[in-house]
Amino acid sequence: MRIEISGLTKSFKGKGLALDGLDLLVPTGMFGLLGANGAGKTTLMRILAGLLRQTAGEVRIGGHDVTTRAGRLAVQRVLGYLPQDLGVYPDLSAREFLDYIGLLKGIDDRATRRRRVGELLEVVALTADADRRLRGYSGGMRRRVGIAQALLADPRLLIVDEPTAGLDPEERIRFRTLLSQLAGERTVLLSTHIVDDIAQTCRELAVLAKGRLVFRGTVDDLTRRADRRVWSVVTAGPAPTAGTVVSALPADGGLRYRVVAPGPPAPDAEPLPPTLEDGYLALAQAG
Amino acid sequence: MRPIDLWRYEVRRAGWAALLTPPVATAALVLISLFDSSPTADRNLVAALEMALPLATGIGAASLVGRDPAAELQLTMPTAYRSTLLRRLVVTLGWAALLAVLVVGILVATDSWPQSRGIASGQLVWLAPTLCLGGLGFLAGAAFRSPAAAGGLISTVWIVQQVFSGLVQDNYWTRLLYLFATTRGAVPDDWTANRLTLMATALAFGAVGWLVLGRAERLLRGEAE
Amino acid sequence: MTAAFRYEFLMQVRKRSMWIANGVVVLLLGLLSARGREVGDLLHDPDAKATVTSVAVAINLILPVVYGCFLADRLVRDDKLGVAAILDVTPSSGAGRLAGKYLGACAAAAVPLAIVYFGFVALYAATSGRPVAFAWAAAVFAVVIAPAVLFVGAFALVVPLLIPAPLFRVLFVGYWFWGNAITPDAMPTLASSLVTPVGSYPLQELFGYRGPAGDTELAGPAPGAVFNFLRPEATPATAWLSVGVLLALAILVLSAAPALRARTTR
Repeated sequence: MRIEISGLTKSFKGKGLALDGLDLLVPTGMFGLLGANGAGKTTLMRILAGLLRQTAGEVRIGGHDVTTRAGRLAVQRVLGYLPQDLGVYPDLSAREFLDYIGLLKGIDDRATRRRRVGELLEVVALTADADRRLRGYSGGMRRRVGIAQALLADPRLLIVDEPTAGLDPEERIRFRTLLSQLAGERTVLLSTHIVDDIAQTCRELAVLAKGRLVFRGTVDDLTRRADRRVWSVVTAGPAPTAGTVVSALPADGGLRYRVVAPGPPAPDAEPLPPTLEDGYLALAQAG
Repeated sequence: MRPIDLWRYEVRRAGWAALLTPPVATAALVLISLFDSSPTADRNLVAALEMALPLATGIGAASLVGRDPAAELQLTMPTAYRSTLLRRLVVTLGWAALLAVLVVGILVATDSWPQSRGIASGQLVWLAPTLCLGGLGFLAGAAFRSPAAAGGLISTVWIVQQVFSGLVQDNYWTRLLYLFATTRGAVPDDWTANRLTLMATALAFGAVGWLVLGRAERLLRGEAE
Repeated sequence: MTAAFRYEFLMQVRKRSMWIANGVVVLLLGLLSARGREVGDLLHDPDAKATVTSVAVAINLILPVVYGCFLADRLVRDDKLGVAAILDVTPSSGAGRLAGKYLGACAAAAVPLAIVYFGFVALYAATSGRPVAFAWAAAVFAVVIAPAVLFVGAFALVVPLLIPAPLFRVLFVGYWFWGNAITPDAMPTLASSLVTPVGSYPLQELFGYRGPAGDTELAGPAPGAVFNFLRPEATPATAWLSVGVLLALAILVLSAAPALRARTTR
């Protein structure tokens, strides 16, 4: 299910442009959307999910024009959406919540719906806690309920906004694996500011900054942006000021800094192979 | 017609507030009448039907928009969120109706139903003001997206009509919109026209509310801050 | 406490929905009164005290309903949003914060009320040439309107910790009408007593108000009425007692807040 975006602009009253003339093509499969907070990722997700109307531009999802009510409805029928702030009904159990969402998604047959809910609870490993109220669930468990509800109607398009925020490392890995397994014939749009999530799951990505597209390509392409720009510097003195410090770890002789910079930030700097995060920072430096 | 399971969930969404409020409001008035030794004491159940129940329903309807934690998710469902809200309104109105029928039953059984009203057409005693305030609550909720503001508006309409009863009724057109024409009506002959006007107004409020709820972006924005 | 006051006041006073709701109410009242009595008559009435008092009564009967509804879920929402937990670990005292929050919320609620009231008083003073109206208005505001605001504020903040906010709103509105506007001879009521929030005792004994027609006993025992033990003889002394009773009840209700919040946030 392809997503074709052209000239997409969204402005909010009194808050300026959230999206500014965005052109983007999202193919089937796992696709990452990276950007800082306020870059416009959530606004884009919401327009695709039919929550917001664009100020200008065209958006076609699977051939449907989401400007029209009919187009939006057609997309919502095949959409699974996991918002950044997933609100749930604390008085319902996970099973009841999914049952309710199933009804809202049009799965009217009780037997089909209950079977589907049971299957998905297995997929997200929540069967044991399925009849506990959501009020007592941890953040990670709620996220898993969130992905389960998104999958209820076997969607062809999954839009997942900051899915791993607040999760512990084990849950984050489990989540990523699950998302990767789901991609297959679906389009999964993963929006996040956590670079590692994309590095571990996506082949292609786009980077947004201040409502504009600043990169579109493969993970490898973005990583290569930091070729010969990643350095290791060990010093007991102040942190290097040239470039961006990625990390600072204790080492013999002070702190070992990992720095992204166009040239060596210190005379004894050692070059390092780049990661996706380095590539992202190099892109930010250039832009 | 959506399955009964969906309606069961919407009853739960309406919550304790919607469930408790109409009976407690009605009971409060009945409690006062138990202390009342005056000859008009038996009017209090009729007053409960015409005053307490519509107020409770109006505020219940006003509380439907703006306190849904899963609103963002709801707005992406193939089932339109405004249909869901309408379903919750129907639950609120339906519960009030159930209670009203119970109270009417008690009044008829104890021979306290007002002689001047037939039992069938007499249902307009509670139905008209309940639908009117329910519809207004729905519209106010849609417009303000704040149970506090919408509830405040319903409360104000109610109390202004109570306190300034004479003023509201001294003009034919405003008299047609008087909520308490049965218990405090100044011109009994206008009762039927009054009830029908209230119901028509209810429909109008509901229709405008439905239109206002059509914009997802407004509902996503939350309270009219 | 001042920080909590300032924060709460600013937050409430900025709510556009509150201003719109108040605006609609004032419009309703204005339309009604424009038809009920020639506004021109009122604006040229030479009796400044009576004029500002009668307007205060109308405002005090209706506008508290609006802010009572608004304040109804303040404390509950804070607890739901988890703000309370963050604030509880700050060095400021819980009681001080609660007092600040309470006073801030009441002050914010009083702002539209004050604007409407003193706005009218200014208009009246200008058209009738009676600037003494401001002095009377200030007195009425301090002795009658402010205690009502504080009384309503306390209940509106605390009771929704026990019952759902919509249920509180319904019971509050019903109570407001029953406890203020219904005469004791019509049915059992708390109106015309020491605990009448609209201020029957001070209105009558301190400002000489005796109803729209000027001939009603607003305060004092009503023959054969229930709750007459709350209606001592109306004198200036009992008028002040009434103000004190309302404020004392407000403080009593507020003192239950910490215990109720601990219950709900557990």
